[in-house]
Amino acid sequence: MTSQPFVAMNQIEKSFNGVPVLKKVTLEVEKGEIHALLGENGAGKSTLMNILGGVHQPDSGQIFIEGKQVTMANPHISQTHGISFIHQELNMVGDLKVYENMFLGSEIRNKAGFLNVEEMCRQTREILAELGVFLNPKEYVRNLATSYKQLIEISKALLHKSQLIIMDEPTTSLAEHEVGRLFELMRNLKKSGVSIIYISHKLKEIQAVCDRYTVLRDGQLVKTDDMQSGNLEEITKLMVGKAISQERFVHEHEFGEMALEVERLSSPGLFKDIDFTVRKGQIVGFTGLAGDGRTELFESLFGYRKKYTGTIKVKGKAMKITHPRTALQAGMGYVPKDRKENAIIKDLSVVHNMSLSSMGNFERWGFIQDKRELEKFSNYEKTLNIKVANPRITIDKLSGGNQQKVIIAKWLEADTDILIFDNPTQGIDVGAKQEIYQEILELAKLGKAIIILSSEAPEVLRICHVINVMYHGEITARFMSDETNEEEIMHYATGAKREGEHIG
Amino acid sequence: MDNINTKEYSPESPSMKSRLSWLWSEYSVIIAFIIIFIAASVMNPRFLDINNQLNILMQVSIIGIIALGMTVVMLSGGIDLSVGSVLALAGVISVLALNASGSILIGVFTALLVGAFAGFLNGLMVAKGRIASFIATLGMMAAARSIALYIAEGGSVSGEVSGFTAIANNNVWIFDLPVLIFFAMAVLIYIVMHKTRFGRYVYALGSNEKAAMLSAIRVDRIKIGVYTLIGTLVGVAAVIETSRLNSISSSSSGAQYELDAIAAVIIGGTRMTGGRGKIIGTIFGILILGILNNMMNLMNVSPHLQGFVKGLIIIIAVVFQKRE
Ligand SMILES: Nc1ncnc2c1ncn2[C@@H]1O[C@H](COP(=O)(O)OP(=O)(O)OP(=O)(O)O)[C@@H](O)[C@H]1O
Ligand SMILES: [Mg+2]
Repeated sequence: MTSQPFVAMNQIEKSFNGVPVLKKVTLEVEKGEIHALLGENGAGKSTLMNILGGVHQPDSGQIFIEGKQVTMANPHISQTHGISFIHQELNMVGDLKVYENMFLGSEIRNKAGFLNVEEMCRQTREILAELGVFLNPKEYVRNLATSYKQLIEISKALLHKSQLIIMDEPTTSLAEHEVGRLFELMRNLKKSGVSIIYISHKLKEIQAVCDRYTVLRDGQLVKTDDMQSGNLEEITKLMVGKAISQERFVHEHEFGEMALEVERLSSPGLFKDIDFTVRKGQIVGFTGLAGDGRTELFESLFGYRKKYTGTIKVKGKAMKITHPRTALQAGMGYVPKDRKENAIIKDLSVVHNMSLSSMGNFERWGFIQDKRELEKFSNYEKTLNIKVANPRITIDKLSGGNQQKVIIAKWLEADTDILIFDNPTQGIDVGAKQEIYQEILELAKLGKAIIILSSEAPEVLRICHVINVMYHGEITARFMSDETNEEEIMHYATGAKREGEHIG
Repeated sequence: MDNINTKEYSPESPSMKSRLSWLWSEYSVIIAFIIIFIAASVMNPRFLDINNQLNILMQVSIIGIIALGMTVVMLSGGIDLSVGSVLALAGVISVLALNASGSILIGVFTALLVGAFAGFLNGLMVAKGRIASFIATLGMMAAARSIALYIAEGGSVSGEVSGFTAIANNNVWIFDLPVLIFFAMAVLIYIVMHKTRFGRYVYALGSNEKAAMLSAIRVDRIKIGVYTLIGTLVGVAAVIETSRLNSISSSSSGAQYELDAIAAVIIGGTRMTGGRGKIIGTIFGILILGILNNMMNLMNVSPHLQGFVKGLIIIIAVVFQKRE
């Protein structure tokens, strides 16, 4: 290791429309280290990285690469300095194939100047295999599950043989084993002298791979230190200003009448013979690995997918749900996962995103009342702690976690009796996670039926009354959450237990 | 598609500079309009004459009404190529209804109905048939023109009811009636787009269709509504077009109106792929086109060259949009 850091960002300042986002932030990353960048939603992590990646220009401050001052005027220049960037939000082109996305802008050509498709496919296959992914490089990206898109995004950054890789929440859509492979890869990269800046809200991950950490709070540097010396609790405190308990959240209370009954729900290739019930006031969790079909199941229940058989009873009445609108009218709300694709209307303002599913609440004589929308939004701004300087700006200007909070607010506003949350805390910081769990619990106490889909077993263990484990489109186990543990859930999620039963 | 923002900020006055660039990105078409307006008044003194100004408004009113609808369609992520042909068809049928009934009211209603119905069919093809709007409306463009030609036997039909021509040729105070109709429609569409849920849904749908649907929006119905709306506006335009000369030609009326309408929308800053744009922008877009036409007439530029200038302006407008 040299005495000189590979990259040094010095006294960086940045404001958007007069609102300061970064205040004299300094960050140094050594050669061959994995450096965690931590902080609450809206702390300025992505903005700092966007400056390093040449996406934004700093208002003041300098950037040094191996001691030489550089100006990252655009993303391309940043790349020529050996920096790769995995963005927080996916940037795949759905209508292109896997290998075309991988080599977008840096296509390999043969001597005659034609595209060398075979070579590109070979390299794509090779790099994906390092992450344990075996895909046809000629598959269209739009047909792939989000976790694959995220893995392709990661592979794309690996392609460039960079010296520094910025990873802005690369694991939000990944299953545990995929995360494990990524970490192995990161450790190997580290050995060969590559530096990594790693942003995540999953502190367990941070502890597993990172050497040092830097905490930002409200755009200011709070602390930089070695990982060993700071335990997680202390880091959490630095981030959110208070300690966060990791205890179970659920409180026992009386459940009400039946809210949702699902019988023998099947859809060819997606899920099979699904039976479950949810009572008013109950929080029911669904977990499993990638490809377990839980998202498809609830997309069908919500009327987004139509090819299924079986019966759905809402409050005792059998329903034919053919469109999300009918689902909403029947009293169901659905916070989808992967907000950029499924939830964010990026050209609408923050407020308008919030009100989109419940326009009726804001109309008088058929006309939208702007004032009522703003008032309602400022309520959610407080309860969910949404960080936004001006709610009239378009939602894509918000930090990732704050976008997610707006989407949750949208469905809280729709005020349905049944609320389905798919990966609700994707990209949300530890403090805000707590607040969202609290909010969900309050809803349950008010008598709403809640369903939570999550790839993280600890999450469902913490907030659900009942946990359903899914594997390959079937429910393989159902537990009361206080009678099981992560290990047992993993057994059923991987299909290990179920297979045994089948053979027997 | 990534929305990477590469605007430069000077360290001294970031807020001032960003405010200027915000002004430019939001209102570039208005700024362009002012520049063109000033340039025109300097180049030709007759341009500022009040009669000339009113004349420009009169000239743009028909395309303007169509362009309002085109803005809505393009905001939803679609396009409508059939407006010119549907205008001819609605005009021809409405004149027949007018002559047969002797009632102006029935004539007008027929035009609106034919326009709305053609639009409804477009909407059905796009929403339920899942046909790309470009293709669906291209089909309608050919079909509607052909039916108009068939009904009118390739020629023109003329109104035989006195008073019908008053619609396009009367004045209120100093304004021609079509100009006032255009203004009224503009206000109406503005309100629909910004004060009602329909408008909100159109923006949502054009920006992210899947998310719109998962927000429990009936995307199909909104699409059908959008094409029906432009069809109805084309019906209004057909009434004015017919009333102006008391006749409509099945072969040439409305020809290339789709191009002018689309041009106005694009110059007005509406994004081709939907989700972003403003009615105000389109109004200034159509005024820019009107001034350019007017200037070229005043300066005796060959009419054959006017298309060239229009094309140039469209391309410049799109280049500026890309820059954003
Ligand atoms: N283009 C922009 N225009 C205006 N404000 C912006 C823009 N980009 C970011 N911001 C604001 O800057 C602040 C910091 O955002 P940033 O994305 O850096 O947060 P973050 O630390 O990455 O949060 P998260 O964990 O939620 O991803 C936020 O309050 C956000 O609203
Ligand atoms: Mg971020």
